[in-house]
Amino acid sequence: MDLIRIADVLDAELVHGPKGWERIHIGSVFASDLMSDVLMSDRDAMLLITSLSTEQSIRSAGIVGAEAVVVANSKTVTDGMVDLAREQGLALFRTKFPKYESCVRLGRIMEG
Amino acid sequence: MDNAQKEPLQSSLRVQELIYGLKISEVMTKKVFAVTRNCTMRDVQTIMKNNSITGVPVVDSRRVVGIVSMNDIMNALEKGAMDDVVTLWMVGEVQTLAEDMPLSFAISAFNKFSFRRFPVVNKKNELVGIITFRNINMALIRELSRQLREMESLHGGPPERSDSLDLVKVYQLHRYDFENGGKASSEIKKFLKERGIPPKIVRQVAVASYELEINLVAHSNGGMLSFDINADRIKISSHDRGPGIADVELAMTEGFSTANEWIRSQGFGAGMGLPNVKRVSDEFAIQSAVGMGTMVRAVINLKKEKKDEH
Repeated sequence: MDLIRIADVLDAELVHGPKGWERIHIGSVFASDLMSDVLMSDRDAMLLITSLSTEQSIRSAGIVGAEAVVVANSKTVTDGMVDLAREQGLALFRTKFPKYESCVRLGRIMEG
Repeated sequence: MDNAQKEPLQSSLRVQELIYGLKISEVMTKKVFAVTRNCTMRDVQTIMKNNSITGVPVVDSRRVVGIVSMNDIMNALEKGAMDDVVTLWMVGEVQTLAEDMPLSFAISAFNKFSFRRFPVVNKKNELVGIITFRNINMALIRELSRQLREMESLHGGPPERSDSLDLVKVYQLHRYDFENGGKASSEIKKFLKERGIPPKIVRQVAVASYELEINLVAHSNGGMLSFDINADRIKISSHDRGPGIADVELAMTEGFSTANEWIRSQGFGAGMGLPNVKRVSDEFAIQSAVGMGTMVRAVINLKKEKKDEH
Protein backbone atom coordinates (compact mmCIF):
# COMPACT_ATOMS: atom_id res chain seq x y z
CA MET A 1 0.00 0.00 0.00
CA ASP A 2 1.29 3.48 -0.86
CA LEU A 3 2.27 5.81 1.95
CA ILE A 4 -0.13 8.51 0.74
CA ARG A 5 -3.06 6.16 1.30
CA ILE A 6 -1.91 5.57 4.87
CA ALA A 7 -1.49 9.29 5.50
CA ASP A 8 -4.98 9.80 4.21
CA VAL A 9 -6.59 7.09 6.36
CA LEU A 10 -4.84 8.41 9.50
CA ASP A 11 -5.60 12.01 8.59
CA ALA A 12 -1.90 12.47 9.28
CA GLU A 13 0.10 15.65 9.06
CA LEU A 14 3.35 15.31 7.10
CA VAL A 15 6.26 16.53 9.23
CA HIS A 16 8.99 15.43 6.86
CA GLY A 17 8.83 13.51 3.61
CA PRO A 18 11.68 12.57 1.31
CA LYS A 19 11.10 13.32 -2.37
CA GLY A 20 8.43 11.04 -3.79
CA TRP A 21 7.26 9.89 -0.36
CA GLU A 22 3.70 9.50 -1.62
CA ARG A 23 4.65 6.42 -3.63
CA ILE A 24 6.75 4.71 -0.96
CA HIS A 25 5.47 1.16 -0.62
CA ILE A 26 4.51 -0.02 2.86
CA GLY A 27 4.35 -3.78 3.29
CA SER A 28 3.94 -4.11 7.05
CA VAL A 29 2.93 -2.09 10.08
CA PHE A 30 4.52 -2.31 13.52
CA ALA A 31 3.13 -0.47 16.52
CA SER A 32 5.15 -0.11 19.71
CA ASP A 33 6.52 2.33 22.24
CA LEU A 34 9.21 -0.06 23.28
CA MET A 35 12.28 0.46 21.13
CA SER A 36 13.69 -2.88 22.27
CA ASP A 37 10.73 -4.50 20.47
CA VAL A 38 11.17 -2.32 17.41
CA LEU A 39 14.76 -3.49 17.22
CA MET A 40 13.60 -7.11 17.25
CA SER A 41 11.20 -6.54 14.36
CA ASP A 42 12.59 -8.01 11.19
CA ARG A 43 10.44 -6.73 8.35
CA ASP A 44 10.84 -5.08 5.00
CA ALA A 45 8.99 -1.93 3.91
CA MET A 46 7.82 -1.24 7.46
CA LEU A 47 5.79 1.56 8.97
CA LEU A 48 6.27 2.28 12.68
CA ILE A 49 3.43 3.70 14.72
CA THR A 50 4.53 4.94 18.13
CA SER A 51 3.51 7.31 20.90
CA LEU A 52 7.10 7.59 22.09
CA SER A 53 8.00 10.91 20.55
CA THR A 54 11.78 10.92 21.01
CA GLU A 55 14.86 11.00 18.82
CA GLN A 56 15.55 7.40 19.76
CA SER A 57 12.24 6.36 18.15
CA ILE A 58 13.38 7.82 14.85
CA ARG A 59 16.82 6.30 15.22
CA SER A 60 15.45 2.88 16.03
CA ALA A 61 13.11 3.05 13.02
CA GLY A 62 16.07 4.01 10.84
CA ILE A 63 18.20 1.21 12.25
CA VAL A 64 15.68 -1.48 11.28
CA GLY A 65 15.28 0.13 7.87
CA ALA A 66 11.69 1.30 8.33
CA GLU A 67 10.29 3.53 5.59
CA ALA A 68 8.12 5.79 7.72
CA VAL A 69 7.14 6.72 11.28
CA VAL A 70 3.75 7.91 12.47
CA VAL A 71 3.69 9.62 15.87
CA ALA A 72 0.32 8.89 17.45
CA ASN A 73 -1.78 10.96 19.84
CA SER A 74 -0.69 14.33 18.40
CA LYS A 75 2.51 14.18 20.41
CA THR A 76 4.95 17.04 19.90
CA VAL A 77 7.67 16.33 17.36
CA THR A 78 11.02 17.96 18.11
CA ASP A 79 13.39 19.55 15.59
CA GLY A 80 15.95 16.90 16.44
CA MET A 81 13.50 14.21 15.35
CA VAL A 82 12.90 15.99 12.04
CA ASP A 83 16.65 16.31 11.44
CA LEU A 84 17.11 12.63 12.14
CA ALA A 85 14.25 11.66 9.82
CA ARG A 86 15.87 13.70 7.07
CA GLU A 87 19.26 12.16 7.74
CA GLN A 88 17.85 8.63 7.63
CA GLY A 89 15.61 9.26 4.64
CA LEU A 90 12.48 8.48 6.63
CA ALA A 91 9.00 9.93 6.18
CA LEU A 92 7.63 11.33 9.45
CA PHE A 93 3.97 11.98 10.25
CA ARG A 94 1.82 13.00 13.16
CA THR A 95 -1.73 11.83 13.72
CA LYS A 96 -4.37 12.83 16.26
CA PHE A 97 -5.49 9.21 16.59
CA PRO A 98 -4.15 7.13 19.45
CA LYS A 99 -2.06 4.11 18.62
CA TYR A 100 -4.84 1.53 18.85
CA GLU A 101 -7.24 3.49 16.67
CA SER A 102 -4.52 4.14 14.13
CA CYS A 103 -3.92 0.39 13.91
CA VAL A 104 -7.63 -0.38 13.59
CA ARG A 105 -8.00 2.12 10.75
CA LEU A 106 -5.03 0.70 8.89
CA GLY A 107 -6.17 -2.84 9.58
CA ARG A 108 -9.51 -2.15 7.96
CA ILE A 109 -8.05 -0.93 4.68
CA MET A 110 -5.46 -3.69 4.64
CA GLU A 111 -8.16 -6.35 4.99
CA GLY A 112 -10.38 -4.70 2.40
CA MET B 1 52.52 15.30 36.47
CA ASP B 2 50.79 14.64 39.73
CA ASN B 3 47.71 13.36 38.01
CA ALA B 4 49.71 11.29 35.63
CA GLN B 5 51.38 9.58 38.54
CA LYS B 6 48.19 8.96 40.44
CA GLU B 7 46.41 7.50 37.45
CA PRO B 8 49.15 6.08 35.30
CA LEU B 9 46.87 4.48 32.76
CA GLN B 10 43.69 6.49 33.09
CA SER B 11 44.13 8.45 29.89
CA SER B 12 45.07 5.45 27.86
CA LEU B 13 41.75 4.64 26.24
CA ARG B 14 43.33 5.17 22.84
CA VAL B 15 45.94 2.65 23.77
CA GLN B 16 43.25 0.32 25.03
CA GLU B 17 41.68 0.57 21.60
CA LEU B 18 44.87 -0.69 20.07
CA ILE B 19 45.04 -3.73 22.26
CA TYR B 20 41.45 -4.76 22.82
CA GLY B 21 42.19 -7.85 20.80
CA LEU B 22 44.97 -9.09 23.07
CA LYS B 23 44.35 -11.59 25.82
CA ILE B 24 46.15 -11.58 29.14
CA SER B 25 47.62 -14.99 28.31
CA GLU B 26 49.39 -13.49 25.28
CA VAL B 27 51.02 -10.79 27.34
CA MET B 28 51.80 -12.31 30.76
CA THR B 29 55.05 -13.87 31.87
CA LYS B 30 54.50 -17.61 31.66
CA LYS B 31 57.55 -18.66 33.60
CA VAL B 32 56.41 -17.94 37.16
CA PHE B 33 58.48 -18.42 40.26
CA ALA B 34 56.17 -19.58 43.03
CA VAL B 35 56.69 -21.12 46.45
CA THR B 36 54.63 -23.47 48.58
CA ARG B 37 53.29 -22.77 52.08
CA ASN B 38 56.19 -24.43 53.90
CA CYS B 39 58.92 -22.36 52.23
CA THR B 40 60.65 -19.70 54.32
CA MET B 41 60.96 -16.00 53.74
CA ARG B 42 64.66 -16.56 53.11
CA ASP B 43 63.77 -18.96 50.25
CA VAL B 44 61.66 -16.24 48.71
CA GLN B 45 64.39 -13.66 49.12
CA THR B 46 66.84 -15.93 47.30
CA ILE B 47 64.39 -16.47 44.45
CA MET B 48 63.82 -12.73 44.15
CA LYS B 49 67.52 -11.97 44.16
CA ASN B 50 68.49 -14.67 41.67
CA ASN B 51 65.75 -13.81 39.22
CA SER B 52 65.47 -10.04 39.68
CA ILE B 53 61.78 -10.16 40.60
CA THR B 54 59.85 -8.36 43.30
CA GLY B 55 56.83 -10.58 43.92
CA VAL B 56 56.42 -14.32 44.42
CA PRO B 57 53.02 -16.09 44.61
CA VAL B 58 52.44 -18.76 47.24
CA VAL B 59 50.62 -21.81 45.91
CA ASP B 60 48.93 -24.87 47.31
CA SER B 61 48.46 -27.57 44.64
CA ARG B 62 48.73 -24.87 41.97
CA ARG B 63 46.06 -22.62 43.54
CA VAL B 64 47.23 -19.17 44.59
CA VAL B 65 46.85 -18.75 48.35
CA GLY B 66 48.98 -15.65 48.84
CA ILE B 67 51.73 -13.47 47.51
CA VAL B 68 55.01 -12.28 49.02
CA SER B 69 56.33 -8.93 47.83
CA MET B 70 59.56 -7.10 48.48
CA ASN B 71 57.74 -5.17 51.16
CA ASP B 72 56.93 -8.35 53.11
CA ILE B 73 60.57 -9.42 52.85
CA MET B 74 61.69 -6.10 54.33
CA ASN B 75 59.21 -6.42 57.18
CA ALA B 76 60.43 -9.91 57.99
CA LEU B 77 64.03 -8.81 57.70
CA GLU B 78 63.42 -6.00 60.17
CA LYS B 79 62.00 -8.44 62.69
CA GLY B 80 64.78 -10.95 62.08
CA ALA B 81 62.18 -13.49 60.98
CA MET B 82 63.63 -14.67 57.71
CA ASP B 83 63.31 -18.29 58.77
CA ASP B 84 59.54 -17.98 59.28
CA VAL B 85 57.33 -19.82 56.82
CA VAL B 86 55.86 -17.58 54.14
CA THR B 87 52.29 -17.99 55.38
CA LEU B 88 53.14 -15.81 58.40
CA TRP B 89 54.17 -12.85 56.23
CA MET B 90 52.44 -13.21 52.86
CA VAL B 91 49.39 -11.21 51.83
CA GLY B 92 46.45 -13.60 51.52
CA GLU B 93 43.25 -13.12 49.52
CA VAL B 94 45.09 -12.31 46.34
CA GLN B 95 43.35 -10.61 43.45
CA THR B 96 43.96 -12.81 40.42
CA LEU B 97 43.11 -12.35 36.75
CA ALA B 98 41.88 -15.01 34.34
CA GLU B 99 44.12 -15.83 31.40
CA ASP B 100 41.37 -15.48 28.81
CA MET B 101 40.40 -11.96 29.88
CA PRO B 102 41.15 -9.16 27.45
CA LEU B 103 44.25 -7.13 28.29
CA SER B 104 42.13 -4.07 28.98
CA PHE B 105 40.73 -5.86 32.06
CA ALA B 106 44.26 -6.05 33.42
CA ILE B 107 44.70 -2.33 32.77
CA SER B 108 41.47 -1.68 34.68
CA ALA B 109 42.73 -3.86 37.51
CA PHE B 110 45.97 -1.88 37.75
CA ASN B 111 43.91 1.31 37.86
CA LYS B 112 41.61 -0.04 40.54
CA PHE B 113 44.07 -1.74 42.89
CA SER B 114 47.46 -0.57 44.06
CA PHE B 115 49.11 -3.96 43.40
CA ARG B 116 52.14 -4.05 41.18
CA ARG B 117 51.46 -7.50 39.82
CA PHE B 118 48.60 -9.93 39.42
CA PRO B 119 48.89 -13.70 39.36
CA VAL B 120 47.07 -15.11 36.32
CA VAL B 121 44.99 -18.27 36.63
CA ASN B 122 43.34 -20.67 34.18
CA LYS B 123 39.75 -21.92 34.21
CA LYS B 124 40.63 -24.42 36.95
CA ASN B 125 41.95 -21.54 39.04
CA GLU B 126 45.53 -22.80 38.74
CA LEU B 127 48.46 -20.40 38.51
CA VAL B 128 49.65 -20.11 34.89
CA GLY B 129 51.41 -16.74 34.78
CA ILE B 130 51.99 -13.34 36.26
CA ILE B 131 51.34 -9.93 34.79
CA THR B 132 53.09 -6.64 35.60
CA PHE B 133 53.23 -3.14 34.14
CA ARG B 134 56.32 -4.22 32.30
CA ASN B 135 54.38 -6.92 30.44
CA ILE B 136 51.76 -4.37 29.45
CA ASN B 137 54.35 -1.84 28.32
CA MET B 138 56.08 -4.45 26.20
CA ALA B 139 52.81 -5.55 24.66
CA LEU B 140 51.88 -1.96 23.86
CA ILE B 141 55.19 -1.25 22.22
CA ARG B 142 54.94 -4.47 20.23
CA GLU B 143 51.38 -3.71 19.15
CA LEU B 144 52.10 -0.09 18.30
CA SER B 145 55.10 -1.04 16.18
CA ARG B 146 53.04 -3.62 14.38
CA GLN B 147 50.29 -1.11 13.64
CA LEU B 148 52.83 1.47 12.54
CA ARG B 149 54.35 -1.01 10.12
CA GLU B 150 50.89 -1.81 8.79
CA MET B 151 50.13 1.86 8.30
CA GLU B 152 53.42 2.36 6.50
CA SER B 153 52.82 -0.51 4.17
CA LEU B 154 49.29 0.72 3.46
CA HIS B 155 50.58 4.18 2.69
CA GLY B 156 52.21 3.25 -0.58
CA GLY B 157 49.28 1.12 -1.66
CA PRO B 158 46.51 1.92 -4.11
CA PRO B 159 44.18 4.80 -3.20
CA GLU B 160 41.07 3.83 -1.26
CA ARG B 161 38.21 2.98 -3.56
CA SER B 162 34.77 4.21 -2.70
CA ASP B 163 33.34 0.75 -3.32
CA SER B 164 35.89 -0.95 -1.09
CA LEU B 165 34.41 -2.68 1.92
CA ASP B 166 37.57 -2.45 3.98
CA LEU B 167 37.03 -0.27 7.01
CA VAL B 168 38.36 -0.08 10.54
CA LYS B 169 36.67 2.49 12.71
CA VAL B 170 36.43 3.19 16.44
CA TYR B 171 33.78 5.25 18.20
CA GLN B 172 33.92 6.53 21.79
CA LEU B 173 30.73 6.49 23.84
CA HIS B 174 29.97 8.15 27.15
CA ARG B 175 27.58 7.24 29.93
CA TYR B 176 24.04 8.58 29.46
CA ASP B 177 24.94 10.32 26.23
CA PHE B 178 21.77 9.15 24.53
CA GLU B 179 22.04 11.98 22.04
CA ASN B 180 25.07 10.41 20.41
CA GLY B 181 24.05 6.81 21.04
CA GLY B 182 23.19 5.66 17.55
CA LYS B 183 25.55 7.80 15.49
CA ALA B 184 28.02 5.00 14.94
CA SER B 185 25.31 2.59 13.84
CA SER B 186 23.81 5.14 11.46
CA GLU B 187 27.18 5.79 9.87
CA ILE B 188 28.00 2.12 9.46
CA LYS B 189 24.54 1.43 8.09
CA LYS B 190 25.01 4.15 5.48
CA PHE B 191 28.47 2.83 4.60
CA LEU B 192 27.10 -0.67 3.94
CA LYS B 193 23.98 0.52 2.15
CA GLU B 194 26.03 2.61 -0.25
CA ARG B 195 28.08 -0.45 -1.10
CA GLY B 196 25.05 -2.48 -2.05
CA ILE B 197 24.97 -4.87 0.89
CA PRO B 198 21.53 -6.62 1.03
CA PRO B 199 19.03 -4.78 3.29
CA LYS B 200 18.61 -7.77 5.57
CA ILE B 201 22.30 -7.91 6.38
CA VAL B 202 22.49 -4.14 6.75
CA ARG B 203 19.64 -4.43 9.25
CA GLN B 204 21.42 -7.17 11.21
CA VAL B 205 24.59 -5.10 11.47
CA ALA B 206 22.71 -1.92 12.36
CA VAL B 207 20.65 -3.66 15.04
CA ALA B 208 23.66 -5.38 16.64
CA SER B 209 25.70 -2.20 16.69
CA TYR B 210 22.81 -0.04 17.90
CA GLU B 211 21.98 -2.39 20.78
CA LEU B 212 25.64 -2.36 21.78
CA GLU B 213 25.76 1.43 21.54
CA ILE B 214 22.69 1.72 23.74
CA ASN B 215 24.24 -0.70 26.24
CA LEU B 216 27.41 1.39 26.41
CA VAL B 217 25.42 4.57 26.91
CA ALA B 218 22.85 3.16 29.33
CA HIS B 219 24.85 0.70 31.41
CA SER B 220 28.59 1.28 31.19
CA ASN B 221 30.94 3.92 32.55
CA GLY B 222 31.80 4.65 28.95
CA GLY B 223 33.73 2.73 26.39
CA MET B 224 34.16 2.20 22.70
CA LEU B 225 32.59 0.48 19.80
CA SER B 226 34.81 -0.64 16.98
CA PHE B 227 34.14 -1.96 13.52
CA ASP B 228 36.41 -4.11 11.45
CA ILE B 229 34.91 -4.70 8.04
CA ASN B 230 36.15 -6.56 5.00
CA ALA B 231 34.56 -8.33 2.06
CA ASP B 232 33.86 -11.48 4.07
CA ARG B 233 32.48 -10.25 7.36
CA ILE B 234 31.70 -7.41 9.71
CA LYS B 235 33.23 -7.63 13.15
CA ILE B 236 31.77 -5.39 15.86
CA SER B 237 33.49 -5.12 19.24
CA SER B 238 32.18 -3.31 22.24
CA HIS B 239 34.54 -2.63 25.04
CA ASP B 240 33.82 -0.70 28.21
CA ARG B 241 35.48 0.40 31.44
CA GLY B 242 33.03 -1.19 33.82
CA PRO B 243 31.11 -1.71 36.00
CA GLY B 244 31.01 -5.24 34.55
CA ILE B 245 28.24 -7.83 34.61
CA ALA B 246 27.96 -10.03 37.70
CA ASP B 247 26.05 -12.83 36.00
CA VAL B 248 26.54 -12.97 32.24
CA GLU B 249 24.13 -15.86 31.80
CA LEU B 250 21.40 -13.85 33.50
CA ALA B 251 22.18 -10.82 31.35
CA MET B 252 21.73 -13.01 28.28
CA THR B 253 18.26 -14.05 29.46
CA GLU B 254 15.48 -12.41 27.48
CA GLY B 255 13.59 -9.99 29.67
CA PHE B 256 16.25 -9.60 32.35
CA SER B 257 17.25 -5.98 32.79
CA THR B 258 18.96 -3.74 35.32
CA ALA B 259 17.80 -0.60 33.54
CA ASN B 260 16.56 2.30 35.65
CA GLU B 261 13.38 4.33 35.07
CA TRP B 262 15.15 6.93 33.03
CA ILE B 263 16.53 4.39 30.59
CA ARG B 264 13.06 2.87 30.34
CA SER B 265 11.58 6.28 29.58
CA GLN B 266 13.81 6.33 26.51
CA GLY B 267 12.09 3.21 25.24
CA PHE B 268 14.82 0.77 26.29
CA GLY B 269 15.55 -1.55 29.17
CA ALA B 270 13.24 -4.38 28.22
CA GLY B 271 16.05 -6.87 28.71
CA MET B 272 16.30 -7.73 25.04
CA GLY B 273 19.53 -5.97 24.13
CA LEU B 274 22.19 -8.66 24.42
CA PRO B 275 19.88 -11.50 23.31
CA ASN B 276 18.99 -9.40 20.27
CA VAL B 277 22.66 -8.87 19.40
CA LYS B 278 23.16 -12.62 19.60
CA ARG B 279 20.05 -13.23 17.49
CA VAL B 280 21.32 -11.18 14.55
CA SER B 281 24.96 -12.32 14.74
CA ASP B 282 26.63 -15.30 13.14
CA GLU B 283 29.22 -15.36 15.89
CA PHE B 284 28.79 -13.93 19.35
CA ALA B 285 31.03 -13.79 22.40
CA ILE B 286 30.79 -11.94 25.67
CA GLN B 287 33.21 -11.59 28.52
CA SER B 288 32.79 -9.59 31.68
CA ALA B 289 34.31 -9.09 35.09
CA VAL B 290 32.88 -6.95 37.85
CA GLY B 291 34.95 -3.83 38.41
CA MET B 292 36.84 -4.28 35.19
CA GLY B 293 34.56 -4.15 32.21
CA THR B 294 32.66 -5.99 29.56
CA MET B 295 33.65 -6.99 26.09
CA VAL B 296 31.23 -8.16 23.44
CA ARG B 297 32.22 -9.34 20.02
CA ALA B 298 29.68 -9.92 17.26
CA VAL B 299 30.47 -11.12 13.77
CA ILE B 300 28.07 -10.96 10.84
CA ASN B 301 29.14 -12.79 7.72
CA LEU B 302 28.69 -11.14 4.36
CA LYS B 303 29.27 -14.28 2.40
CA LYS B 304 26.53 -16.35 3.94
CA GLU B 305 26.27 -20.04 3.43
CA LYS B 306 22.70 -20.92 2.63
CA LYS B 307 21.15 -19.92 5.92
CA ASP B 308 17.60 -20.48 7.03
CA GLU B 309 15.50 -17.43 6.26
CA HIS B 310 13.12 -16.20 8.88
